[in-house]
Amino acid sequence: MRTLRGWLTRITGLFRKDRRDRDLDAEMQTHLALHIEDNLRAGMSPQQARREALMKLGGLEQTKQLYRHRRGLPMLEVFFQDLAFALRTLRKNPGFTIIAILTLALGIGANTAIFSLVNGVLLRPLPFAYPDRLVAATTYYPKGPFVVMRDRSRSMEFAANSDATELNLTSIDTPVRLSGSSVSANWFSVLGSRPEFGRIFRDGEDQPGKDTVVILSHSLWQHRFAADSNIVGRSIQLEGENRLVVGVMPPEFRFPSPKTELWVPLRLDPRDIGDYWGSSYMPIIARLRPGATIEQARQELAALRPQILAAYAWRMPDDSFIKSSVIPMHEALVGDVRAKLIILLGAVGLLLLIACANVANLLLARATIREKEIALRTALGAGRWRIVRQLITESLLLAVLGAALGLSVAFYGLSALKATLPADTPRLADVAVDARVLIFAALLAVFTGLLFGAMPAIGASRVDLTKALKTGGEKSAASRTHGLSRGLIVGEVAIAAVLVIGAGLLVKSLWNLSNTNPGFHKDYILTARITPNESFCAEQGRCQSFYRDLLERVRALPGVKEAAAVNGLPLSGAWETIPADIEAYTIAPGAHVPMLMERIVTPDYLRIMQIPLLQGRSFTEADAAPSSQRVALLSKSTVERYWPGQDPIGKHFKPRWLKEWWTVVGVVGDVREDNLTRNVPDWIDGEMYTPFGPHSIAGRGPEAAPAEMTLLLRTSDDDHLGLGAELQSVVAELHRDVPVSQVATLSGWISEVVAGPRSTASIFSLFAALALALGAVGIYGVISYSVAQRTREIGIRMALGARRQEVLLLILRQSAVLAFAGIALGLISALFLTRLMATLLYGVGASDPATYFGVAVLLAAVALAATYLPARRATRVDPVVALRHD
Amino acid sequence: MSPKKDVWQGTLALMVLKTLEGLGPLHGYGIARRIEQTSGAQLVVNYGTLYPALLKLEQEGYIASEWGQSDNNRKAKFYKLTRAGRKQLAKEAKEWEQTTSILDRFLSPGEEHS
Repeated sequence: MRTLRGWLTRITGLFRKDRRDRDLDAEMQTHLALHIEDNLRAGMSPQQARREALMKLGGLEQTKQLYRHRRGLPMLEVFFQDLAFALRTLRKNPGFTIIAILTLALGIGANTAIFSLVNGVLLRPLPFAYPDRLVAATTYYPKGPFVVMRDRSRSMEFAANSDATELNLTSIDTPVRLSGSSVSANWFSVLGSRPEFGRIFRDGEDQPGKDTVVILSHSLWQHRFAADSNIVGRSIQLEGENRLVVGVMPPEFRFPSPKTELWVPLRLDPRDIGDYWGSSYMPIIARLRPGATIEQARQELAALRPQILAAYAWRMPDDSFIKSSVIPMHEALVGDVRAKLIILLGAVGLLLLIACANVANLLLARATIREKEIALRTALGAGRWRIVRQLITESLLLAVLGAALGLSVAFYGLSALKATLPADTPRLADVAVDARVLIFAALLAVFTGLLFGAMPAIGASRVDLTKALKTGGEKSAASRTHGLSRGLIVGEVAIAAVLVIGAGLLVKSLWNLSNTNPGFHKDYILTARITPNESFCAEQGRCQSFYRDLLERVRALPGVKEAAAVNGLPLSGAWETIPADIEAYTIAPGAHVPMLMERIVTPDYLRIMQIPLLQGRSFTEADAAPSSQRVALLSKSTVERYWPGQDPIGKHFKPRWLKEWWTVVGVVGDVREDNLTRNVPDWIDGEMYTPFGPHSIAGRGPEAAPAEMTLLLRTSDDDHLGLGAELQSVVAELHRDVPVSQVATLSGWISEVVAGPRSTASIFSLFAALALALGAVGIYGVISYSVAQRTREIGIRMALGARRQEVLLLILRQSAVLAFAGIALGLISALFLTRLMATLLYGVGASDPATYFGVAVLLAAVALAATYLPARRATRVDPVVALRHD
Repeated sequence: MSPKKDVWQGTLALMVLKTLEGLGPLHGYGIARRIEQTSGAQLVVNYGTLYPALLKLEQEGYIASEWGQSDNNRKAKFYKLTRAGRKQLAKEAKEWEQTTSILDRFLSPGEEHS
């Protein structure tokens, strides 16, 4: 306790030093005076008395020094001294200081921005209660299996939500299409989330008849319902049905997606066999019960599998869902973007290394200038460690100032990043510069300062006094640090090469992706989502006539050449899946049942999209008549898979839960439905087309066509803008309550699809460009400095008859050696490092020779350009002036 | 060297406290002189080491300082014992007595074992 008081008092001893020093002086003077008096009284002479008193004291200055050490905190005081000196030194060299701080701000700021992303998406725990107890299944399940899991699991509490449910909001002026999610009744409580007002769903509200409730999102409540404080208890009309609003969620609840505007209960109706067991595959989440581990959960899921299969309405193959496992929910959400973010973090880290190398080089150049100052201080008694500490304090100060400026770079950079990355990046909306990010920036500043400061400091402190204090001493320091300088440049060029190669590979990938043939033609097509209420189609034939009229009227619009409708656009992520029985195809024992994705189309669809008809015939209007045969088209890879080498025309297949068979009348080309690199997702085996009408399979109910379709218009030219509004009015004329949404061109949609790779490529390219710029600046600096150092030597050469050409070549050769070494090192490193980004590449190998060669040429050109000015300056050296220069 | 130095600093502090207890408020020079006298000039102490020791005692609150007038009207800084200092003195004196009596039994020629 007393020692604590002692330490605290010592902190106060840091302040008001002047007064305390005066007191100390006074006390010392009194002490000496008293002692001298005694001595005089004892008979000594005045000089003797004084000398004896001083000796007995042990030296005035030493005593004062010991006292001062005890009074304050010497270490801290020395540090403040160093800091003040460092500040003065930096102010005296504004040019150097500004360049160094800007370089560091760039490096530290960019790293902080990317780290904010990594922190916000990957590191932060999910915003739910006890988020590490939340898990998710790795495959989707339909409603039936979900109910089995929910009821029987002992280690987990299961909940489910649909990926996206879209609902019409009617009962207001213009009907509006809202994006929502159907969730199981226990979904909110499994997540542990509480509403802002009202309540969450209760058990049993996901049964038919009890499910006419809805919970609103905060933003929907504010924007559409004017933040009405009495909203709970009011009814709103969704899809023509009245639903009671029972709660509003808080603004930060944005699950399963930031676009979710409301939540309705799932409808769990075992009587609707197709829906319950066949087609609505959903993501499943769960909360581990207290005491359960995730390993137990995995085992339990495997044990439940046979029970699920036993409960099925029809026989499923024995290995259904066999690959399904349980992973932490966080992993399920962000697993896809993890690789991309880590790679960006690596890239920006490399950029920081280049920035550090540049600043280190600046420090090395300054060290030679300061050699005399350092030699003087050493001669006056400063220990080597003291000098190193002083220099490192300077570096740390630079780093901290750079980091402070870098924070503003980070803020702006982060906003730009959030705007560039695709909007569906998980958790992107909540990414911000928070406390952890600030701590990271501070630590990074310290680390950076030590990184670029340590070596120059240690090198500079090693001073040969005699050489340094004589004139002409600059040369000795220059030659010592020259090797280090060159090494740094080679390193910089190598890192820049790696980054530019990475960027080149990504850009090439993007190019390949954008130009793959998706299997259809995307130009001049306008699309719009037409979404009447589901109940609309309950009456037989009503949907059909609606769409028939709509297509007729739309074709009559000016500029429209053709029109058609489809249940979902390729690459939109929207499809219906049908487990099918295929004629003459026996499922191998243990293999899974064929899953086909269904595209419900009007006859003109294939022609508008220019999907080639390879065999047989396409649809006609007649196929949509109730009395006609049930016909379908299959994609090429589907027929090759199930009827290899046979004629598919005339063969049959049927949905597992129905008795009727469909006949194949034609084969069409494959279309990229899942993403630009793949036709169909892993777990789907083929694609079929059915005519829009009573014989489409996934329509709501056995004899009805689907209500929601996407309209496609082929226009004669690029002027699509006016058509959106005209389309709205045409639809409104036909039926008041039908919303028109997602009006966009097809090419616009496709380019959305590459938003992810495009953002990665552009961010990476930015880093590569910055690396190139910093590298060029670094080379320019080092070569300029070298030319300045060698002025005398150049003067001698020219005096001895060297021509300008030779001097130019001399300098260029010096730079060329560095550049080639750096490029070679960079190319070799890239061969190893780019393997890490293989998951991001498409159609390009990680060691694509064309890219490597191109980058080598580019870097050589940049190095040459950076060397050119200093080299030219070298040729302008006047030998007379140079020889006098010392 | 170092542990010896710590012990030395400790004993110096104890001597200062004891001196102030016996003589009342005293200035630095007076304390130094008195310690020299009492220890029989065996500890030829460099007077300068006293001042940091005085400062430490003051920082820890065992003594307090005040500017006053010396005998010949010189302005001098006087130190006096605080209550905490008194308690500490008593405590440390007792510890020293115990230590020396234990060591005494060890180091005196083995009278019990004869």
